[in-house]
Amino acid sequence: MSETEEVVRARGVKKSFKNRVALSGLDLSVRQGQLYGLVGPNGAGKTTLIRILCGLLRPDAGEAVVLGWRVPNFRIRSQIGYMPQEVALYPDLTVMQNLAFFAELYDLPREQLKERAEELLALVELSDRRGQRVGTLSGGMQRRASLAASLLHKPRLLFLDEPSVGVDPRLRHSLWEHFLKLAAQDVALVVTTHLMEEAARCHVVGFLNQGRLFAEGSPEQLLRKTGAASLEEAFTRLEEESKVRT
Amino acid sequence: MKTWTVARHVLFRIGQDPRTLILIVLTPLLFVLLYGYSFSSGRPTHLKVAVVNEDNGLASVRTAELGRITLTLSLGAKLVQSLDRELFDVVLHDKPNRIEDEVKAGKYWAGLVLPKSFSHALANEALRERGPQKTTYQGRSVELLPPETVEGPLATLYLDDSNPVVTSSVALSLYEALTRLVAEQQATPTLKDPLDVHALYGGQVSALDYTAPGVIGFAMTLITIMLTVISIVRERASGTLTRTLVAPVRPWEVSLGYTLAFALVSLLQLGELFLVSHLLFHIRFAGSPLLVLLIVFVYAIGLQGIATLLSTIARNEFQAMQFILVLLIPSIMISGVFWPIDAMPTNIRLLAWCSPLTYANSALREVMLRGRGISGVALELGVLAGFALLMLLLGVRSMRRQGYSA
Repeated sequence: MSETEEVVRARGVKKSFKNRVALSGLDLSVRQGQLYGLVGPNGAGKTTLIRILCGLLRPDAGEAVVLGWRVPNFRIRSQIGYMPQEVALYPDLTVMQNLAFFAELYDLPREQLKERAEELLALVELSDRRGQRVGTLSGGMQRRASLAASLLHKPRLLFLDEPSVGVDPRLRHSLWEHFLKLAAQDVALVVTTHLMEEAARCHVVGFLNQGRLFAEGSPEQLLRKTGAASLEEAFTRLEEESKVRT
Repeated sequence: MKTWTVARHVLFRIGQDPRTLILIVLTPLLFVLLYGYSFSSGRPTHLKVAVVNEDNGLASVRTAELGRITLTLSLGAKLVQSLDRELFDVVLHDKPNRIEDEVKAGKYWAGLVLPKSFSHALANEALRERGPQKTTYQGRSVELLPPETVEGPLATLYLDDSNPVVTSSVALSLYEALTRLVAEQQATPTLKDPLDVHALYGGQVSALDYTAPGVIGFAMTLITIMLTVISIVRERASGTLTRTLVAPVRPWEVSLGYTLAFALVSLLQLGELFLVSHLLFHIRFAGSPLLVLLIVFVYAIGLQGIATLLSTIARNEFQAMQFILVLLIPSIMISGVFWPIDAMPTNIRLLAWCSPLTYANSALREVMLRGRGISGVALELGVLAGFALLMLLLGVRSMRRQGYSA
């Protein structure tokens, strides 16, 4: 996949909040059509990294280039999608009303909205809930509605922050099927997770802790390199190795 | 009984949040200090009053022994001297024909014109009240006789009666000063209509009329700011603001969108407030409703900016509410809604001129009570527009800092 376009390139990205270091000189490369899994414990810096790549935060040092533009940059916005950890929908509006508002922000023509919304609602299995208020949906359904809202404008690059939290195993499986399908359509996806069985489905996995990417590769490469039986074990070994090195 | 456990837990959490702690301690202090300082004298002070003293100081009086004699009494100067200097900031003026216009223009709360014959009229009025009086004139004992004719009013008073508190203070104090002066002439102080009063608004402005524009302005301020702050804080907490700011939308578009929505809401509220206060309480409404709408619209835009800023500082709805209280409650005390700003101590007055509500209140009052046109409120509108622009810029900046920046 080396000849495909590099959609994300980060070099030496640093970010601190008051006294807490969130990212300490991080490098990252994601290519078109890649499903990239950012794996790390809570507080590893995954969300900060995604927020920087989306242009929501400005790095303290280093640079991040997304879709050819150094971020933050307005030009990339219509081509990226972001599903935050929170549901990030208006609980007092129906699923459809929420989709309609965000579609308008993305300049989706009104005629296309209905068709696109139906397509996405079918994907996340919420077609029969389109008229229901988001606040009255179950937690898992809210996450699915949130994903639908992030896909409205067919982004070339999709950031998903813990997309399968609160989603039942059956649906989680179908979501990941869909992620792979998107990747096959040349969409790049950056997915954060702390679940190793999800990481195992990614094309490339980056292990993140304490604001640093300490290992990267396909799940197979990581397993081979460490001789571990599981990605979990690989993570632990590689983390210890990197500690020894520093 | 877990009451104590719960109570201790609540107190502990308050103690953990220094901001809340400071607010709890400082808020009451702030209120009582501002209240005390602004209203402390119990009556207005430092009201600007213009006095034209044309009195020639002479009084021609009948005597039993010598016929008419002329006494030099300079009662006009005495009156000016005896005016209550705490209540009045006396400005000596020498153009009696311009006084009325200048009072109308709001330069003075009142204009007192003492005519040439002031001493004469007052001395004779005193004699009429008191009856014949013995005195010495050029070394001779003479008896002064009351006048044969009744004198008219002693002086003319042009009074801005748009503020009932001021009106009654000014009128009472002047009446007292005149009475004292008559009393010094050994007469019983029972003056009847000593002043020819020209009330600008015919005494039609009630205390309710006077406070209505400010109270309406304050109600709007409170509601608008609360609505905006809470909805932005909520959007931020729920993540919808993030989702919006990742979309191809400029922060200023988001900020202006909020501003527009809530400014329109403000206009609706304003219409409601006016309709009720006009129909139910017959609030005086002398000027153009369109001008009032314009003032409120410009003011509301500024409020949106403040609200956006506050929503950046406040981490949650609870803190937002506290900021609102600390910022807004004092503003109603010092913005001249109940108490004329002229009557406040200097330091509070300076503070008052920093509060946008002061200008909104002043402009609304000029239009509603005095029926002024746009040129009459140009200064206030200008300040409000400047404030709106500044706050809008700061609001956009803080919206940018809430998420995206580029």
